[in-house]
Amino acid sequence: MARMKFYCDPERCIECNACVTACKNENEVPWGVNRRRVVTIKDGDPGERSLSVACMHCSDAPCATVCPVDCFYTTQDGVVLHDKDICIGCGYCFYACPFGAPQFPEDGAFATRGKMDKCTFCAGGPEADHSADEHRKYGSNRLAEGKLPLCAEMCSTKALLAGDADVISDVYRKRIINRGAAVLARGVSFQDASFRAPSNLGGKSSSQE
Amino acid sequence: MRTPAHHKTVPHALGVFGIYLLGLCLLLFSTLVDAQEKQPKELPTVQMMNPAAEFWRDVRQRSAPVSGKTQVGGVETGVLINATGDRWRQFRMSQLIPISGYILGGMVILLVAFYAIRGRVPIEGGMSEHKLPRYTGYERMIHWFMASIFIFLAVTGLILLFGRPLLIPVLGKEGFSILASASKEGHNLMGPLFLLALVMIIIQFVRRNIYQKGDLSWLIRGGGIIGKKHVPSNFFNMGEKTMFWLLVFVGGLIGVSGLILVFPVLGLGREIMALAHVGHAIGAILMITVIIGHIYIGTVGMEGAIEGMKTGYCDLNWAKEHHDLWASKAEENGEALSNQEVAKMRGDRGSVPPVHSGLQESGK
Amino acid sequence: MIGEFIDGPLWYFSITAFVIGVVWRIVAIVRAGLKPDLSIARGSAGSGAVRAIFSRFVPERTVTTRSRLQLIAGYMFHVGLLVLLFFAQPHVDFIAERITGFDWPAVPHWVFIVTAEFAFAGLILLWLHRVLNPVTRLLSDLDDHIGSILVFLVMLTGCLALAQSHESLRLLHLFLAEVFLIYFPFSKLMHAFTFVMSRGYTGATMGRKGVNA
Repeated sequence: MARMKFYCDPERCIECNACVTACKNENEVPWGVNRRRVVTIKDGDPGERSLSVACMHCSDAPCATVCPVDCFYTTQDGVVLHDKDICIGCGYCFYACPFGAPQFPEDGAFATRGKMDKCTFCAGGPEADHSADEHRKYGSNRLAEGKLPLCAEMCSTKALLAGDADVISDVYRKRIINRGAAVLARGVSFQDASFRAPSNLGGKSSSQE
Repeated sequence: MRTPAHHKTVPHALGVFGIYLLGLCLLLFSTLVDAQEKQPKELPTVQMMNPAAEFWRDVRQRSAPVSGKTQVGGVETGVLINATGDRWRQFRMSQLIPISGYILGGMVILLVAFYAIRGRVPIEGGMSEHKLPRYTGYERMIHWFMASIFIFLAVTGLILLFGRPLLIPVLGKEGFSILASASKEGHNLMGPLFLLALVMIIIQFVRRNIYQKGDLSWLIRGGGIIGKKHVPSNFFNMGEKTMFWLLVFVGGLIGVSGLILVFPVLGLGREIMALAHVGHAIGAILMITVIIGHIYIGTVGMEGAIEGMKTGYCDLNWAKEHHDLWASKAEENGEALSNQEVAKMRGDRGSVPPVHSGLQESGK
Repeated sequence: MIGEFIDGPLWYFSITAFVIGVVWRIVAIVRAGLKPDLSIARGSAGSGAVRAIFSRFVPERTVTTRSRLQLIAGYMFHVGLLVLLFFAQPHVDFIAERITGFDWPAVPHWVFIVTAEFAFAGLILLWLHRVLNPVTRLLSDLDDHIGSILVFLVMLTGCLALAQSHESLRLLHLFLAEVFLIYFPFSKLMHAFTFVMSRGYTGATMGRKGVNA
């Protein structure tokens, strides 16, 4: 069974916020809610890196543990979803989540919390696939169409990866291996640090004389 | 002859000495050269951190809290990993819910056991013919105002705390969601009224709740539980005073932390919110435990204890047994009233002529 | 099923019972008539009536000092209830949809909540005063208590349904409101309409006598 995961490659992310925009547009999320955000660390300083973060669809999700009404469930694809009909908007998942994924539309007096909204991995909700109710509450259900989340699909640098965890980790592993030059640029000796695969050039020369 | 011979030996000795000296110099020099060769490696070097490793360290908030920059507004959106969330989750799931369950259940069991062993604390002298005015109408009103709000908040709060393990198996998720939603909204709306009631209670009762001389002996003798003998006390005894101050401080804590929790619009971080939740929960469990005892004494635990709050008058014998210092002084002041007088003032059945209804003014 | 009944037939029945009942009660009171006042008028009965209807909103000096709490709680509850009833967004929407066909500006949600807090505090305090004070306890009959508790339950279920996300909570609130509407015309809750008549009657009598009361 495929297990769906996001992975964001900070070496590739260019902080264009296209994933945020794409998500907001595709899922028509409520005002004041962003299911995905790009965070830049050391902005303007050496070592600046950006990361796009949303719900990480944890295998053992803290939000699901603390929910007082038990509205979370994990799909067969390993996507963590929640039932907005059951959610009471208490905010406990927001306190427990390591990634700040649960968002609350400002609802009621003094901006008390409405029903929680978070990234669904473009997998909709508990309602029937592609039903109007599902779209209204959770946004689009691309997984049911055999598509992957739009944020990752449209990432221009392919920094944000989404899909089967096995494939994602393979892709990322290959990138790491092929990053010898980037490692060299960090002041570590080429010989010691390069993971560049050997090219089998032993004994070869441009001239034999 | 001797001299040349001697002369001949000197250069020889010098030569030997020179060779030794040369060897020594070479040795020294070689070590110096060796030392010089090692010198460049100790030149000041720039420590190169691995930026990727540094980045993940910052993301994980390992060394210090790091907040990045983001275009998305909101609370702590620049923080990539919320380091405090897991601690709060563990507190709530593996400490708060089970331990508070044991505490509340234990308190109930304790009271049942106490009742089984000691039974209802009677008025030893029996009901007397006289009563003392104990609480004014306003005092009773704010007490029951506080009581009704407290019970509502306690019940709705406990539903939210224990609903998932206890009520979802009974009601199902959908059914419990309705109850939980109602509880949450009711809890949030009624919460501020608790603070209002608290302020009214404090203003009205604070002067009688300042600790006095006899209170320590009350505590030492366990409020009369130890030794089966009543301990004299003033208008409020040590236990009541302690409950009052618990209500003031713990209730105040519950109220303030509740306001923090109910106003996410203040934009406080998750750590403060989680901390407010911890304070709110611990304070509430403590207060509920104390109030269970309070209700026990008022309802089944003690004869005559609730009379003052119900009618405004308490039995003279009860007052003398439980609040001797106050009762004797009040009796000296001639505040004691006969039961008939009290019944008349309260308009109890039989003491006043029946009210005829249907005597509205008519134009005809 | 029961939800459809509450939302449909029962609603129409209750609002009809309310309207017919209120009209019937008022007509009955008016038809009871007044004794002819044969004295020579020293002042205007009409202006006396109008003056009394409004001047009685301001309490007498002795009332403000002797029963300050009842006064404050009374205003908190009554003003709060009126604002809740006619200016809360869900109520405005409901009335516009079911009765009037047009809506009017509602108060912001935070005003709604603050008003509800005041109304709750006022109602609970007043009811406690009713049962704890010997005089008001003797004056109160079952009707008073049923009226108070019904209003309280309607307000409480309304507050429980604040999330506006569970249909069953809304229906519970609506059901109690319907019970309240049916009960209204046949109880002292009629004072919401008849206070005008009683004050007007007193004011007219006094005005005719030329007394500024």
